[in-house]
Amino acid sequence: MEIPSETLRARIVNVFRPLLIWLVIVLPVAVGSAQRAVAPKPAAFAAQGAVTARVVAAANRFLATLGDAERARCTFGFTSSQRTGWSNLPTGIFQRNGLRLGDMTSRQRDAALALVAAALSREGYQKVTDIMNGDEVLRSAGGGRTGGRQGAAAPGGAGARGGGVRFGLDEYYIALLGPPSATAPWMIQFGGHHLAINVTVVGPNNVMTPSLPAAQPAKYTLNGQTIRPLGHENDKGFALINALNPAQQKQAILNYEVRDLVLGPGADGKVIQPEGILASALDAVQQGLLLDVVHEWVGILNDEAAAAKMAEIKANLPRTWFAWSGATKNGGLAYYRIQGPTVVIEYAPQQGDLDHIHTIYRDPTNDYGARLVVP
Amino acid sequence: MNVRRPLVWFAVLGVWLATPAPAGAHRLDEYLQATRLSIDDERVRLEIDLTAGVAVAREVFAWIDTNRDGQISNAEGDAYARQVLRSVLLSVDGQPASITLTEIRYPQFREMSLGAGTIQMRATANVSATGAGRHQLSYFNTHRSEWSVYLVNALVPTDPRIRIAGQQRDRAQHGLTLDYTVRGRAPWARTWSLLTLLAMAGALSITRWPRAGARA
Repeated sequence: MEIPSETLRARIVNVFRPLLIWLVIVLPVAVGSAQRAVAPKPAAFAAQGAVTARVVAAANRFLATLGDAERARCTFGFTSSQRTGWSNLPTGIFQRNGLRLGDMTSRQRDAALALVAAALSREGYQKVTDIMNGDEVLRSAGGGRTGGRQGAAAPGGAGARGGGVRFGLDEYYIALLGPPSATAPWMIQFGGHHLAINVTVVGPNNVMTPSLPAAQPAKYTLNGQTIRPLGHENDKGFALINALNPAQQKQAILNYEVRDLVLGPGADGKVIQPEGILASALDAVQQGLLLDVVHEWVGILNDEAAAAKMAEIKANLPRTWFAWSGATKNGGLAYYRIQGPTVVIEYAPQQGDLDHIHTIYRDPTNDYGARLVVP
Repeated sequence: MNVRRPLVWFAVLGVWLATPAPAGAHRLDEYLQATRLSIDDERVRLEIDLTAGVAVAREVFAWIDTNRDGQISNAEGDAYARQVLRSVLLSVDGQPASITLTEIRYPQFREMSLGAGTIQMRATANVSATGAGRHQLSYFNTHRSEWSVYLVNALVPTDPRIRIAGQQRDRAQHGLTLDYTVRGRAPWARTWSLLTLLAMAGALSITRWPRAGARA
């Protein structure tokens, strides 16, 4: 029996169509997907819902203290340019948006700081407080100057050309990006001179990258106590480099000077080629010391989120680099960098001044919660 | 004699004297030249950020504002950027690469005078040596070295075929030498492209075949 050609065509097409579709469309897409680098998955941010609830409640309590005009000045859209508009510079050089602590009533100020405290760990909030108090010490002393070029004469002291640049306790600003929510993404921005804390909240997840804790002076006395806001960062860094054997130090120590942060403000999305020694070449004790250094930045955030982040960094430890530049004796001038798939930390004395330290903490995959926020 | 220029310079001096006292956290007597290099498919991109410290900002501004009118015109801005790029040597596999300025942005004088404003230069260089195999890129910046401190870094290549195998710098980071490899496209990728083409041709012939039969 002769099958009509039209019927035969239809049968053949019906038989081969799925295969053709698979060959022409599905397989290339699948192969393409397989070729792309596998994006790291978010860390297991388990049991953080309670923290988010606490932070949301603190944010709402703060907002409740504000009038309409103040609220308008303090709140921004989550995706607004305000998100990347942070700096370590003082007012007058960099104009922050948001509400200034110095413009708040004591009730508002307490609520603002309570919100910051709710998002951070106890130690993290203490570090923030120490940085702010240090800035007030700097202000009281007439401002600081740092000069480093060899052979260059440093001009006169600060204040020689009048006022305008402002810093100190009153010059810290708070801004909220997006309405506080237990489900939708939003952000707390808190910063001023030598401090930029960016906490992105996405459901139960809290992310504190990018953030910039810095200090000048690096050591001061307050109420009879000696305060070193970034003292642990310094001491633990030196402890780590000195825990390496000579062969490891040879790998870790860069043969060049690093005079500033490489990935400071404005360097969002940049990933530099790592250098130094891989943590996989360290023994367990040395790896523990490295994680201890990392925790000085990660642990600024609340304990629950910090624990999840540390677990993620630990999982990536074999692919994490440690690089050092400068003296290896504590008290000397040294820069260091820790760089892994989901973390970048830099510790950088400024222009040869041990009393003026800048640091940066980033996650190249998750700054501003990029990995968690659905575009 | 042009009487306007002294007046303008007095005005600039006035702005300078009136600028607020600098605090810490910004540069003083160094001209920071921070470069980031990225190796792309057939080109190298340069991001050069120049930040003058408070104590040297006036001099840096004067290098750029050549007619001393207190403003950086487009022509002056471009001229300075080209001057910077003339101090930069870039070569790939020993062959000098010509650098083309693509973007230049200047801060306000006031920002510069506070040691915070950054001049942002972006440039590219077409390079021919991106074929499969080992390559070496050398970058060296000597612009105003008596005033400057340098940072130079390579960004991780976005093209997975390009891998940086080694990097060396001089102590002051004037220069960076990168050893890198470019992987050829995988043979299976070419095979797959061929298979896709064949499949598409097959699909086309099947859908066209019955019409030929109908004519027969």
